Parts: sequence; C-alpha cells; structure tokens
Amino acid sequence: MCEVAIVGVGCVGFRPITLELSYKELMFEAAVKAYEDAGGIDPRKDVDVFVTCAEDYLEGFSIFDEFVPDQLGAALRHLFTVSGDGMLGLATAYMLIKTGHFDTVVVEAHSKASDILTYMDIVNFGLDPIFNRPLGGHPYYIAGLEMNRYLHDTCTTEEQCAQVVVKNKKNAIANPYAAYGADVTLDQVLCSKTLFHPLKKLEISTPADGCIVMVLASEKVAEKLTDKPVWVKGVGWCTETPSLETRDWTRAIYTRLAAEMAYKTAGIANPWRDIDFAEIHDMFAYKELQHMEALKLCDYGEAGKLTEEGLTALEGEFPVNASGGLLGMGFGLEASGLQKVLEVVLQLRGEAGSRQIEDVEAGLAHTWRGIPTATGAVAVLSNVK
Amino acid sequence: MSLEKITNPFDARHWIGHMEAEYRYTLGIAGERFFKEIKENERIMGVKCPKCEVVFVPPRLYCEKCFAKLEEWVDVGKRGEVYTYTIATIDIDGKRLEKPQIYALIKFDGACGGLIHRIGETEKVYIGMKVEAVFKPPSERKASINDIAYFKPAE
Ligand SMILES: [Zn+2]
Repeated sequence: MCEVAIVGVGCVGFRPITLELSYKELMFEAAVKAYEDAGGIDPRKDVDVFVTCAEDYLEGFSIFDEFVPDQLGAALRHLFTVSGDGMLGLATAYMLIKTGHFDTVVVEAHSKASDILTYMDIVNFGLDPIFNRPLGGHPYYIAGLEMNRYLHDTCTTEEQCAQVVVKNKKNAIANPYAAYGADVTLDQVLCSKTLFHPLKKLEISTPADGCIVMVLASEKVAEKLTDKPVWVKGVGWCTETPSLETRDWTRAIYTRLAAEMAYKTAGIANPWRDIDFAEIHDMFAYKELQHMEALKLCDYGEAGKLTEEGLTALEGEFPVNASGGLLGMGFGLEASGLQKVLEVVLQLRGEAGSRQIEDVEAGLAHTWRGIPTATGAVAVLSNVK
Repeated sequence: MSLEKITNPFDARHWIGHMEAEYRYTLGIAGERFFKEIKENERIMGVKCPKCEVVFVPPRLYCEKCFAKLEEWVDVGKRGEVYTYTIATIDIDGKRLEKPQIYALIKFDGACGGLIHRIGETEKVYIGMKVEAVFKPPSERKASINDIAYFKPAE
C-alpha cells in the first residue's frame, strides 16, 4: 500500500481573541497558507476530498458542516465533517488515501473560542444528564478529582505538575503560533489560586483562537508537491467508557490503546528510543505526565521525575511540547490535535526556528478531547519514508 | 476590517446568538429502578454481570466489559469510601464560592464504579475516608441524584 505524507500546513493564530476575522476568514487564511505550502495546489481541482473537524455546540450552529465549503475552496467538491478533534480528521484522511482511491485530502480544524460566551456551560452539557449534571458546579472539578487520584496512586508531586507549566510556557515564548508564552517560576505556579484542589489556576490551559489546515497526499503525488514531505507512519484512536464512575482514573487507558494502535502500524517497539520528541495533550498540567506514561514513554508514575530532571525540556533528551503545548499555545478546542501535528511537522522539516530540536527523524503527536471525555488519538510522523 | 485597534471585544461588529435548546432525558429501565430505590427505600443499587462477576454502580443494562445483558440487582449499601476528592473554590461562572464545595467519587464495597457526589458536614476529607449517604426528607425527593443530599463522614 502507498505511503501517506503531510505535504502542506497552514496556521493562523493562536491568539486569545480574534476580533477582526470571522471564523470563515480564519479558515480561509489558513487554507490559503496550506495550499501555498503544498506546492501551490488549486483546491478547486487538485484536492480529492476535504475533511473538516467541528462540534456544533462549539461553533454556535446546528449542522455546522454546511457552513464550511466556500472558505476552503470546497464548494461542490467532496467534503464531510468529523465531529471530533482534528487528529481524527487526519486519521480519516490517512485512511482515505490508503484505500488507493484518493490522492490528495485536506484536513481542517479551528477554534473561535473567543466567540463562545458561555463555554463552560457547553462543557457542562457534556456531562451525564442524570447522574452528574444535576450536582451542579464548575465542570473542571472532574479534572481536580482525576489529578488528586493520579498524584495519590503515582506519588507524583504538585511541584512536578507545576514544572510542566514552567517548561511549556517558556517553550511557547519562541513559538510565533503561541498565545500564552511566559517566563513563570515554579513558585508562581504553585502559589496561583487552587481552583479544584490540587489543581491550580496556572495549570489550566486557556482557550485560544486559531485555525489549522493540512494537505495530505499519496506517495506519488507527495513527492511532486514538496521536497519536505512528512510521512504519517501510524495513527490510532480510542474511547473509554463515558461513565466517570467506572472508568480508570489514573492511567489514561484511551491514550494507551490509541498509542498501541499507532505504534503497531509505525513499527515502534520502544517509543522513547525510536521517537525523538513528542507533542502531548496538556490541557491540564498533570495530563502531560499521565499521557506520557500512557504513551509508554516511561513507566507508570515516572513522568513527573523525568520532567523534574529536565529530560523533557527543549534541550533535554526527549523534548515534550517544544511548541509550548496547550498551556503555552492556548487550548485550540477541536484544533488541539492539529496544533500537536503542526509542531511535529515543523520540527521534522527543520522549520521550528529558535525552538528547533537537533537531528530529529520521528515525532509523536497526541491529543485528548478534554473534560469530561476519555477519547484520545495518536499519530507517529517521520521525515524518513 | 477596522484599521483602528479594538480594545473592547463588544466594539467589533457582532451579532449575539442564543441557542434555545431544552431536553427531557428519560432515565431508562436501569435509571428508573435505581432512582425508585433511592427515593422509596434509601437504597443504592448496582447491577451484576453474570460473566464478569462485576457489580456496576451506576447500574446499566449492558456490561461495558463483555457486552452481556445485566439483570441481577444488588444492594451495595449506603456506606462507601472516598476514592478521590477535590475542593472547588469557584462556580461555573468563575465566581469565588463563599464556601468551597467538596466533590468526591465514592466507591462501594465490592462494586465497580460508584457515585460522584458532594461531601457535607465536614471540611476534612481524605482518600480512603469512610462516608455515608445522607438522604433528603422523603417529601423533597424527586427520583434524582440530588435525593441524596450529600455524603457525610461515617464512624
Ligand atoms: Zn461482563
């Protein structure tokens, strides 16, 4: 079967607020950049399928998918929407090309978080209406519940979680696509308000606006469009039970199984050794650590220590979230997965500017759909076919 | 596009939309039984999988592990243990709560799962703490998860 490559990327954002652009214009700008980056393709004739990723409630539309063709050059073309994270769209594009029926597929995901005036009510509407929602309260208390048990079972410390924030926000300073880069100290994180014990204010990512468009192509088309293809070596995804009461609270099994699926296709036996760096979903600081363990980058309960020792810093042995992560870039809602993929692509092309990691061949992108979900996805990418 | 810097988000031309969406969620067979037992008998019930020998709380008609149909109801008792807890200091609008709210996942002996609920009558809480359900007076019960007012420390 043919190999699949990412041949073009376009990103607008991420910024705390985007007043001057509508969501359609945001998508148009990112699409123009991506098509240009993919050797100047014309979406009106060079793209076989378009995949957009959006959740109606986050868009403020019923049937949002009807509103996406024009600004991507996809009117009267072959388009559909995946109601989920952008990485599920990437996985779909990968599969479409693998069938041999399609050569060029475009994936889009965006966040216009600043347009959502009652975001937390939407998150709250994701809770079980019978058993959980009637209890009321801010839905992020679920992250507090999870973090507390994760620390308890793994002996990970609050300082180790706070270190994730220090690292990621610092990395974000060097990323022009990041909204919330900052030089914060461990003390500043630890002394920020405890909102959902033991989860602190600075450990919670803040939403941001942005859009990412990617062009994927089959081997034969990819090599015509770019001399820097980034090959998709494996993708995986998984969802655990929605029942908060019966799911696993410390091991992020959805991520473990998604990773195993991607590693199998990519032929990864030892991720820490076979992969050079990772972009991992860090909507909350502790999730980066929990996800590192689920991704088999280290043993259960070891991620905090590795972080504290600096192994996951930009200059460390295995950089995690060189982009600044969601804590530094801003939480791009359904674009989160593509934020992760974007950084891996830029690093593998050697285009990450002052945050470029030396001598990289393979990178890992991971996403999670946030509170209260237990859905994750993983992609393994490489600049070597 | 405006050439002047906009400093107040509401100065950008916009239209406010409001999504009117109300739903009625039926409890289903398992939910009906579960909340009837709470409302009428102050009993917390689980349902047992004959194949996995696991008792699920909250109850459901199908096993998430083996997909079997579940029919054997089991009383798991009013007492449980705090599996994890958190203390919320803000409400859903981000406003500071006058009194922080403790939430916990309470697990019951021999059961898989448990109930997420509030902890009351104490400011002290820890993982492993034994707690007991406090039911609202019968006249105030509505066959809802809030028929349990909260869980309190059990001796
Ligand atoms: Zn079973």
